[in-house]
Amino acid sequence: MWRLIIRNTVARRGRLALTLLAVLLGVAFVTGSLVLTDTSQRLLDDQFRTATAGVDLTVRDAAAFDSAMGVEVERDPLPAEVVDRVRAVPGVAAATPVVRGQGLIGVGGKTIVPAGPSLLLSWEPAPVGPFTLRAGRAPVAEGEVVIDAATARRHRIGLGAEVTVRAERAERLRVVGLAGFGSGEGLPETTVALVALPAAQRLLALGGDFSEVAVVAEDGTDVRRLRSAVSAALGSGYEVSSSRDVAAVGAAAAKTQISSLQVMLLALAAAALLVGAFLIANTFSIVVTQRTRELAVLRAAGATGAQVMRSVLGEALLVGLAASAAGTGLGVACAAGLRDLAGVFGMTLPDGGLVVTPRTFAVAFVVGVGVTVVSAFGPARRAAAVAPVEAMRRSSADHLAGRAGWGRTVAGTVLTALGAAGLSIVLAGPGSVVVLGEAAVSTVVGLALLGPAVTPGLVRLLGRPLGVAGVPGRLARESAARSPRRTSATALALAFGLALVSFTAVLGTSIKESTARSYAETITADYVVESARNEMLGGLPAHVYHHVSELPQVAVASRLRYGHWKDGQSVEALTAVDPVTLPRVTSLHMVAGRLDAVAGGGVVLAANVAKERNLKVGDTLAMTFSRTGVQRLPVVGLLRDRDAQALSTGYVISLDTYERNYREHVDASVFVKVADGVSGADAKRAVERALADAPTAQVRDQAAAVAGRNAMIDQVLGLVTALLMLTVLIALMGITNTLALSIIERTGELGLLRAVGMTGAQMRWMIRGEAVLVAALAIVAGVGLGIAFAAGTVAALGRATEATLTLPVGPLLLVVAVAALAGLLAGLLPARRAAGLDVLTAIATS
Amino acid sequence: MNLILPDVRTDVAALARDVVKIYGRGETAVRALDGATLSIPAGRFTAVMGPSGSGKSTLMHAMAGLDTVDEGQVLIGDTDLGRLSERQRTLLRRDHVGFVFQSFNLVPTLTAAENIVLPLTLAGRRADQAWIDEIVAMLGLGDRLRHRPAELSGGQQQRVAVARALAARPRIVFADEPTGSLDSRTGEALLGFLRHAAHELGQTIVMVTHDAKAAAYADRVAHFADGRVVGVTGDEEK
Repeated sequence: MWRLIIRNTVARRGRLALTLLAVLLGVAFVTGSLVLTDTSQRLLDDQFRTATAGVDLTVRDAAAFDSAMGVEVERDPLPAEVVDRVRAVPGVAAATPVVRGQGLIGVGGKTIVPAGPSLLLSWEPAPVGPFTLRAGRAPVAEGEVVIDAATARRHRIGLGAEVTVRAERAERLRVVGLAGFGSGEGLPETTVALVALPAAQRLLALGGDFSEVAVVAEDGTDVRRLRSAVSAALGSGYEVSSSRDVAAVGAAAAKTQISSLQVMLLALAAAALLVGAFLIANTFSIVVTQRTRELAVLRAAGATGAQVMRSVLGEALLVGLAASAAGTGLGVACAAGLRDLAGVFGMTLPDGGLVVTPRTFAVAFVVGVGVTVVSAFGPARRAAAVAPVEAMRRSSADHLAGRAGWGRTVAGTVLTALGAAGLSIVLAGPGSVVVLGEAAVSTVVGLALLGPAVTPGLVRLLGRPLGVAGVPGRLARESAARSPRRTSATALALAFGLALVSFTAVLGTSIKESTARSYAETITADYVVESARNEMLGGLPAHVYHHVSELPQVAVASRLRYGHWKDGQSVEALTAVDPVTLPRVTSLHMVAGRLDAVAGGGVVLAANVAKERNLKVGDTLAMTFSRTGVQRLPVVGLLRDRDAQALSTGYVISLDTYERNYREHVDASVFVKVADGVSGADAKRAVERALADAPTAQVRDQAAAVAGRNAMIDQVLGLVTALLMLTVLIALMGITNTLALSIIERTGELGLLRAVGMTGAQMRWMIRGEAVLVAALAIVAGVGLGIAFAAGTVAALGRATEATLTLPVGPLLLVVAVAALAGLLAGLLPARRAAGLDVLTAIATS
Repeated sequence: MNLILPDVRTDVAALARDVVKIYGRGETAVRALDGATLSIPAGRFTAVMGPSGSGKSTLMHAMAGLDTVDEGQVLIGDTDLGRLSERQRTLLRRDHVGFVFQSFNLVPTLTAAENIVLPLTLAGRRADQAWIDEIVAMLGLGDRLRHRPAELSGGQQQRVAVARALAARPRIVFADEPTGSLDSRTGEALLGFLRHAAHELGQTIVMVTHDAKAAAYADRVAHFADGRVVGVTGDEEK
């Protein structure tokens, strides 16, 4: 039996080639995603482990939580006397004060702004310090700095060069050494400046304080016991952690971004595989149909139905195995490309050797083989049902081509109707995103079932323009309408891809437009100063605000800060404002209470947040801050949702409250109102001059500020769309495959047409017409679904935030044009093959 | 674009002269046609009869412009098919040759009426409605025109094929075992139609068959064996 299966599969390799390719691409996508994220996580683990390798314990100021939303919280500095108290604990071999902070490196008048952090650290030789000298010497004297070798190479900074290091203060320092990190030349997308401890304290304005104490235990000391001893000696104001825990926490914070990327990549890979599954089911179903005669002969020769079924599933298994093997290889090779793609769209991942785990192999094979075999199950069952007498019938192709069954049509109608009803409920008001998700699944499954029943009508309607092109056009239309099951499966696969693309485009544009609108209506400032870097909390040094607010060209300046706080297990963000100046640069509408009341230490909530939490003015809200733990803040006002959205969060406190509870002191935005009688351009120039010593600060008008807010959405949109194109590509291969198979099936008919005088050009036209028609069907269904469910999502979101539907007409038209063109391309090869058919052979085939 | 043949009145509608067709090469080469010569007089019903494998279908394919020959000459009217490109041969078939095959004659997605005018519509020509009506009436297809091939009996399908072959008023109609898949009564009726078309409408018809009973309906019978014509009977009747 197996020999027959293998020989069958090899003999039909041409027909199965595209199926194999579809599975291969899907598996490659899965493998690539897993390898990429595994690699990134491993690199981050290594990085953080290296950073603490020579240290046993780390002493820091106590905090209620370590990190939030991928950002490690800032802690209060430690006073000098802590070091002596640690040293006095028995079992401590060495206790070294360490200073760490942010410091930009500037060279030749230009500041280096990496995509990642700009670290400023006090130099410690190994084993306490993680950096090792690659050239030159350590920075021991005043005015000396060591930078990482990667940055030095990229910016051509040699030993002896002068650089500016800018933290709380700026100093010109001479490069006396270049350092590496572990086996690498530095940290990815990061600049590192290493200076002597006193210089670090001065640059970061720490006085005699420092960030943490690195403790090395005496040989033979139990680290866990030592940790308790140090902790007991210092009291509850300090946190003593094993260095391994510190590394794990740091790595975990850095990994949050990667895990969301992984979820996104795997979801997209699943979409690609789903489309691939459609293609596989279709291919096997066509191949089985074409082999009805052969299968019947097998049955007549004594093969049982189960054997026939096993033979088809066996073929699927072989295809799945081959595709998974090739796909895994391709995926590993493409992981680096995927990383570059993510980099293009602004997601920086660490660079280094690829990590391929056994789990990756297992997942790739299970997914590849599973999808193939499961997709082939339906066709295999139909193959088993072929009766031996079919062998005697003349034409076998037609009766299996698939009309819609009654049960299937009814089930499809019901599910589609349920989906539509769910969508209408959401659009009309009360439904949630969950209802919408269920409606989407119901609609997609319903349409897949309903497809064969509605396809002929739809195809004839959409194909009407083809009629003007004469017989070839009409034949193209009729051919698509003739095998509704095949046409609908092919079109649905593409429709699914197009639906995701248009959904993404519509949703992204709607969110961006809504942000722009609420921002425009709420923020009345003439200019906004923001950091050019993509920093979670914003990144303006505090002096920016002071310089700007003192300018005579500026009537008023007001600043915002962001912070994280914990609400039980979940992390929330808040906005800190100056209640006196904010109303002069914004137009805020309070639903209840007063904004200026936050000055007394209270919190203003967005109206929908208050509703969700069942809070009103006068109630209190318990908020856990990293530095100060649980604080109970009185609710003093409710803000209109749209205005809260413009301030980025649903929780607003005063800057004074922020000051008391946070160590962070960077501003996110400084709003600027130009003084009377000063032109906007003059004011902007003046502000820019005042920002000379803050190289990352940018003066933005409203449009630029909105663009900055939307940059992240653009990045995600770009990446998702680029990856969805793979799904669309697989679906297009489906069109090519289906047409190629249908040409084999229709050889006799095509030969007849050629015999009675259809020219090669007319025949190519006919096949391409059919391809475009299938694409058109997919476009109508896909773009329609995409827009409908994006509208539903916007409606559902609209109840929590301000969001209205905006159709990106240009991009949608582009999707339509690209899909139609791609349909044409998908038809090229089958068209050429059809036109190249030898007339005599074709006639003989009938 | 239509391929226009010079409209010369000649008694010979088509001619094959010393035609050789070889399939394969070397040891396995088969001379399907081995110096076949056949003249098809205009307005007559000619049968080419021979056992299967004798090369009669190959000759028909060559004369109809479906295939090229290795040696010798094939003419339709005064046009030497050997000088035509693949595209020109396609246009020649479309405009000047009609076909009836043994089976699978019709495009399943088109109605009977659409199948009948298919060569004309492919050429972008208008059908001569009076002529079509006449053929349809002669073949008794009047009430079947809106049906698709799957809804027609085998005999009806073949009659539609005959109607299509006649629709464009071709120089010559080739029929390859047209009754091969019909029962004998239906087959005889079809043969009657073909003879009627030749006698009453002046249509040149060439039919390839291995069946002597079918060949008996023709005016002339060319006997075919081993790749060449070995004798023609019935010429004297003229």
